[in-house]
Parts: sequence; C-alpha cells; structure tokens
Amino acid sequence: MNLWVLAFAGGVAGLDGTSFPQVMLSRPVVAGALMGWLLGIPVEGALLGAVLELFHLGILPIGATPYPEAGTAMVAAVWAYAVSGTTHGAGLLLAIAFALFWERVAGASVVLMRRWNSWILTAGQPPATPAAVESRHLIATGTDFLRAGVLALTGGVIGGAAIAELHPFWPWGGDAAEGVLHVAGVGGAAGALAIFGGWRERWRLVLVGVSVGVLFLAVA
Amino acid sequence: MKPGIRIRAGMFLRSLAIQGSWNYRTMIGGGFAFALMPALRAIHGEQPAALRDAIERHRGIFNSHPYLVGVALGAVARLEAEGTDPATIDRFKSAVRGSLGSLGDGLIWAGWRPAWAMVALILLHVGAPWWSAVLAFLVGYNAGHLALRGWGFHIGYHHGLAVAGQLRRAHVADASGVLASVGAVLLGVLLPLVVAAAPPDTQRMLPWLGAAVLACAAGLRWGNQVRTPCVVAIFGAALVTLIGRVLA
Repeated sequence: MNLWVLAFAGGVAGLDGTSFPQVMLSRPVVAGALMGWLLGIPVEGALLGAVLELFHLGILPIGATPYPEAGTAMVAAVWAYAVSGTTHGAGLLLAIAFALFWERVAGASVVLMRRWNSWILTAGQPPATPAAVESRHLIATGTDFLRAGVLALTGGVIGGAAIAELHPFWPWGGDAAEGVLHVAGVGGAAGALAIFGGWRERWRLVLVGVSVGVLFLAVA
Repeated sequence: MKPGIRIRAGMFLRSLAIQGSWNYRTMIGGGFAFALMPALRAIHGEQPAALRDAIERHRGIFNSHPYLVGVALGAVARLEAEGTDPATIDRFKSAVRGSLGSLGDGLIWAGWRPAWAMVALILLHVGAPWWSAVLAFLVGYNAGHLALRGWGFHIGYHHGLAVAGQLRRAHVADASGVLASVGAVLLGVLLPLVVAAAPPDTQRMLPWLGAAVLACAAGLRWGNQVRTPCVVAIFGAALVTLIGRVLA
C-alpha cells in the first residue's frame, strides 16, 4: 500500500489524540483494527491494538503531563507487522515492543510540538485580530497533523525493517512470544484498577465482575 | 448583538479543535480565542478597538478539559453579548478553569473512556467480530462525548455566571464516582477473559496461566506500578531477538 496512506492514517490518529476531534480514532484498539482493515489484516490489527490497549487503560492524559502517544505508534506498528511478512508469534511480540517504544518517541514529539506552538502563537507579537488568531491556531493544528504523519511514516518503515530482520532470531516457539505478551498484558490491564480507586476501595466490585467473567467462560 | 444559533453552532464546531494550539505558555488560550471568534465578531464586529481588546483578553492563559470547555465558551459568549465588565469575565474564567479540568479528567479520562475501551476489549475476547467491537466503542463513547460537549455549551450559554450551580445540580462529580464503580466491574469481567486467552499450546498452557494470574494479582495490588515491569518484560523478550541477530 502507498506510503502516503500510512502517513495520512498516522496524521489522523495523531491529530485525534492531541487536538481534533478527539473521537478516539487514536485509541490503540481502534487505530490498530482500522489500520489492519486498510492493510487487509483486520484481525491481526485488532489483536495488536487490543494488546496495546491493555497497557493504556490506566494512562490518564491529565494537564501538561507528557504521555505516550499510542495512536500514531499503533498505526506504524500495524503497518510494520504487515510489511514484515511474518505471521509468527515473535512478529506480534516485536510489533508490540516497537509500538511501546514508538509511542514514547511520539509522546516526546508532542512535548516539542507544544513548545513550537508557543512560538507560533507569539512570534513577531501578532496583532489581536481574528485573522492572526485563526491562522496561527490552524497552522499549529496543521503542523501537528504533519508531525504525526511523519512519525507514522518513519515508524512504519523502520519498524517493518526491524521486525522482518529480527523475528527469525526468536529462539523459542511462537507460543512463548505470545505468552510473554499475554502475561505482560494481563499485568498492565490489572494495574488500571488504580484509576478506579484501587483494590482496597473497589475489591468487591472487581470480584463481582470477575464472577461474571468466569461465569461467561464456564458457559462458553 | 447576541450570538444566533448559526454562530453558536460555529463555536461548537470550532471547540472540537480547541486543543489545536495547546502550548505551555497559554495552554488552550489560543484555541479558546479561536473557538470564541464567531461570537466576538458578531458582538464587537463593528467596533474594531473593542474586538481587539476582547481577542487580547481571550487569547491569554486558559485551560479546561476539552469536552467541558463549552461550559466556559458558552458562558463567556453570553457575558460578552451582555456587555459584562471584562474584569468579571476574567474572574469567571479563572474560577472555572481548574474545576472544568478536574471534573472532565475524572469523568472522561478516568471513567467514560476506559469503560468503553473495556467494553470493546470484552467484546473482542468473547469472540465478537473486530468491527463490532470497534463500532461499539466509537458509537457508545462518542454518544456520551458529544452529548456532554453539547450539554456543557448549552448550560454555559443559558446560565452565564450561574453555570457553576448548574454543574453542581447536574451531579457531574457524582457521575465520576459511578463511572469508577462501573469501570471496576468491567475490569473484573475483562481480567478472567484475558487470563483465559493464554497461548493454545496445551503442554505449556498451565505455566502461562499461572504467570498470568500472578501478573493479574500484582496489577490489582500495586496498580500502575506494575506497568513498567510488564513493558520491560516485552522489551527484554524483544532484546533476545536482537542479541540472536548480532551473534548470528
């Protein structure tokens, strides 16, 4: 698929996550599934997105706190997995490892972007006119789209090459790679209880939920 | 001149991009002025000096949760239209910016959003088609998201300075507590489904299941502190392939 599609999808995911329109196209499970669908691997995309989502349940983008930008990283990681040509569990593991790394890179770029926005809004002491305010706001928003697009593009290319090169060197079976992801994902998801009040405050409700989940497993 | 319905609709649409120029100096100040501009044009359009003065005041520092910023936007549009003293408007903005931020963080980032993300994950784990999980998340989440934005803008515009009382009467803070409870139940439903999704190799399944149960218990007990060791475990496993490549 055309690299422009990768850049555009990354730009959309990045913009959605940071500024416009924040309808959660940038959530890992959504971005992963939709990117996978674009690439003809929707199930694998959704799987990668679901794993990364487990790690993001407990992350809160509060105030000026730097946080990992998952949407752009997810788009890049699904592309990387697709172009690497692997269907091995090690490919999934490497794609998630890459996404976890790349979301940090993308998060750091958001910090730089916000410093850049300060400059855009104040450079040359702009007059207090509608045109000055609107044009600078739109330039900042457009630059954010470009930032995320470039990150997705470079991430997809680098990640694809890395996964293709490295996955044959996984020394154990595919199940072992998936097992690592599975255990780590469970820990990451369970940690999200902190944002709902923590174990001491919510243990009864968690156990109610666990009962429902176990009941479903027993029936299914 | 009071902003008409078309102007208010324009402000609402612009408010979707209010964080487009987020920065460490004025935070969403630039976005606030951008979203308020249709109203400022309508109110002060024929008085250039008054328009410049209003823009200067509103492009200064401001912050809010993006979904609740409509409360402040609507109220400020009304106050500007009524010719309220600028110092009063500034005091109002200073008073609401902290509370709109913390209310939205608790309600959306720590409640509504993870709840719908877990609904999507639960659907995927019970075998629903990928698209239905994504659709459920996007439709369910955004129904509440857009309703909250619209409601916030509505009460802000219609109640002006008295909007804080409306927020209290709407029990927004109580809703955060309810969502946290719902989130805890949903997490409880999700965890056994994720634990049971161990790799299918039956010979190795038991150790993986045991490790997953331990990871689950650690996460429930120590919260987000467990995230870092989990991520390090994935990086460590990926490093094995890199070492293998170097040694080959």
